[in-house]
Amino acid sequence: MTEKSTVAEVPAEQITASSDAEVRASRSGLLGRAGDVNWWWIVGRYGAIVVLVAMIATFAIIEPGSFATSSNAIQILNQSALTAIVAMGLTFVLAAGDFDLSVGYATSFGGVLVAGLIQRNGLTIPLAIVLVLVAGAIIGLVNGLIVTRVGVNALITTLGVGTIVVGINYAYTNGDPVTINNPTSFIALTFNKLFGVPYPVYVMFGLAILLWIVLNRTTLGQSIQAVGGNPEAARLSGIRVDRVRVAAFVIAGACAAASGVLLTSLTGSGAVDGGDSYLLSAFAASFFGSAVLRDGQFHIVGTLLGVLTVSVGFNAIALLGLNTYAEYVFQGGLLILAVGVGTIARRRAAR
Amino acid sequence: MDNSAPTVNGMRETGGDRASGRPTGSEPQRALLAVEGLTKQYGGVRALSEVSLDIRPGEVHSLVGANGAGKSTLVRILAGVETPDQGRLLLDGAEQEIANPWGATELGLGFIHQELNLVPRFSVLQNLGMNYDAKARYGLIRWGDVRPRAIEVMQRLGADFSLDREVRDLSVSQRWMVALGRSLMRETRMIAMDEPTASFAAEEAERLFAIVRDLTARGVAVLYISHRLDEVLDLSETISVLRNGQLVASLQASDVDRAALTEAIVGRAVQETTRHITPRGVAKDAVLEVRGLVRAPRVNGVSLDLHHGEILGLAGLVGAGRTELARLIFGADRLSAGTMTLGGRPFAPKAPFEAIARGVALVPEERRSQALLLRNSVEANINLATISDNRWRSELPLLSPRKARVAAKQMVERFGIKLVSVAQPVGGLSGGNQQKVVVSRYVRTGPSVLILDEPTVGVDVGARAELYKIIRALADTGTAVLMISSDFDEFAICDRVAVMRDGRIESVVDGALATKETLTALCYASGSPEQ
Repeated sequence: MTEKSTVAEVPAEQITASSDAEVRASRSGLLGRAGDVNWWWIVGRYGAIVVLVAMIATFAIIEPGSFATSSNAIQILNQSALTAIVAMGLTFVLAAGDFDLSVGYATSFGGVLVAGLIQRNGLTIPLAIVLVLVAGAIIGLVNGLIVTRVGVNALITTLGVGTIVVGINYAYTNGDPVTINNPTSFIALTFNKLFGVPYPVYVMFGLAILLWIVLNRTTLGQSIQAVGGNPEAARLSGIRVDRVRVAAFVIAGACAAASGVLLTSLTGSGAVDGGDSYLLSAFAASFFGSAVLRDGQFHIVGTLLGVLTVSVGFNAIALLGLNTYAEYVFQGGLLILAVGVGTIARRRAAR
Repeated sequence: MDNSAPTVNGMRETGGDRASGRPTGSEPQRALLAVEGLTKQYGGVRALSEVSLDIRPGEVHSLVGANGAGKSTLVRILAGVETPDQGRLLLDGAEQEIANPWGATELGLGFIHQELNLVPRFSVLQNLGMNYDAKARYGLIRWGDVRPRAIEVMQRLGADFSLDREVRDLSVSQRWMVALGRSLMRETRMIAMDEPTASFAAEEAERLFAIVRDLTARGVAVLYISHRLDEVLDLSETISVLRNGQLVASLQASDVDRAALTEAIVGRAVQETTRHITPRGVAKDAVLEVRGLVRAPRVNGVSLDLHHGEILGLAGLVGAGRTELARLIFGADRLSAGTMTLGGRPFAPKAPFEAIARGVALVPEERRSQALLLRNSVEANINLATISDNRWRSELPLLSPRKARVAAKQMVERFGIKLVSVAQPVGGLSGGNQQKVVVSRYVRTGPSVLILDEPTVGVDVGARAELYKIIRALADTGTAVLMISSDFDEFAICDRVAVMRDGRIESVVDGALATKETLTALCYASGSPEQ
């Protein structure tokens, strides 16, 4: 009797679905056993989206002149871009069942390195960016190899590697910002617009599409999700679990460094700890996203929605003239609320 | 090892009224623990049916029976892990209810399960202290009080290792001693030992027997569960035989011999003539040749041939090494010695992906923990071992969701998997349908050798028959199938059945002769194979 299941089993009589519509509905879990609408299931999947839409609607009514404008919408997306890029990379590591605490520091590292390569080494902007992405990938590779080959817990490994990266950042900069003397063309990366929309928004959505494809439409992405779901089952199904985990860390490292490049281009100078704060925002967004649309699995669309929801809230808080502390209370509360409600809803829906 | 050793307080109470010495079996003695009419049903299956037995103080009472006879169920009830449907337990003649494991401990019943349940990173002393919190005040453990008691207990057991060593650094038999020591820290009146010698070397086993004799000399009762009949006959006073959940015999060890005991377990007279070994070398076209595989302690030199299009059953008792052998062939564990050839070429997989690439697949034993992504769709689960087969074009890395869906639907149709949609989470399917999902996943890898480890556990009767049909059909199309099962009735579908014992293939029986009785007898057979 080891077969005690926590998941409700589908009784045989329900298996013969009569109509196409019924099949479609029960396939998605919308209809419960008795055929009535399973509200908990809806809350679990779409609750967070409802919250986002409700927030937008509310602020649009309260602040129609400042909030509900296209320029403000673009502003919100632009503010989301950097966090989103870090968070989407982190999503790969989380989807593979690991943790990465080094992403924020890798962002700072990418920021100072790109400035240094351009200012000190006189590299062209494209070459500098490529090298920074490679350097970020190497941080991920080191993380991945220590986790899989040495077998150190991912939390500890990435904490250690992240701390070393902080040290490297200070060694490289002496603690001072690395400023590009003639920054116009580099700053253009974030300030230039196409059809009125700044470049980072395109980068965010472009990367989102690319990473969505990698996670959902490639062998690597499917393997990452399998390893995160059940590593032993994945191994016994012929998936090379260690390689897959390393690849996830590499993607996270490269994304963090990419975000650092954009961060530096905002001001034309790279601060030694400029990207550190993205760590917690990225984690918050990814976990928020795991409660959206899917049953607790990490995925790109969810992560993106997580970042956007927080940005909408921050934007409204600023427009309403609230104190800064409100941002933190909002972000923390939102995370607990979304994941908590998602967890309860899944448990109820399974009954 | 005699009574001059300091008395352990756990033995003091019972030691006094047992001045008459060891029971001879003829004198009637009051039972320490009496089990009356115990019945336990799982679903429609009666795991235990009206079982009554008496365990007297100071005796070794052995419990024997084939796989699924009800031994574990009985022990689990005594340990407070399961509650019986009917029947009662009497301790010193007073009815007791054992609601949970702690209750069993409080009554002085100790259990040493096969898994031992020690904390590997704790020291010996810490592990011993875990069960000794009677000395804890205000939630604080006073190690100063624990240590002298621990020294006393471990000296009695003749332990030759420091209390400060971490348990993970100890050998299997040393760990077992720690587990026993933990039971003895408290006042213990009966200790149940489940297959204690399964992973012991011969001389280690001798030591264990000495410890058991010492315990009983002090009045502690030992409930001894083992498949090794020689041990059982040597050690016990009373032997209770379970078959299909019923107590079929309660014997005095002095009155029976090995043959009689085997007959009681199997249920009919065993004809030694049915035991024959197919001569090696007649193999028509062996797909897989296994020679001298070793991985201590469970696999100790296995050689076998698996032929094109045959179903080879692998019978054996729990702990015989069957799962471990399957994992070695599949590359899930590393070999320490031995060679294999597959299709005439050397075969030495370092990991499952290499085995699958060469056309060897294993449907693992634990469906939920080793095979399924429970939250993911049926489709994802079916395609798990063949993700790359669903690419748009073989030269592009992009996957086609349509191909994945078509592949899943084909498998659902071919294997008769009952579901609403291939997009539904696999966790919601019945056990039989889940198993079909797993089998279909590995069949899709196109194996020339398919190993199935307990493929019908937790599968209902209808789905079981369908699985047999699927397996037979695979063999008919040329796949070589190796099927491990503890339900010996299902070997009816096999062409040949190999019997494994103590990490070796003891004999290979023709499918036509492989009845449940014959196989069970062979599992218990002693000595070297006769010609």
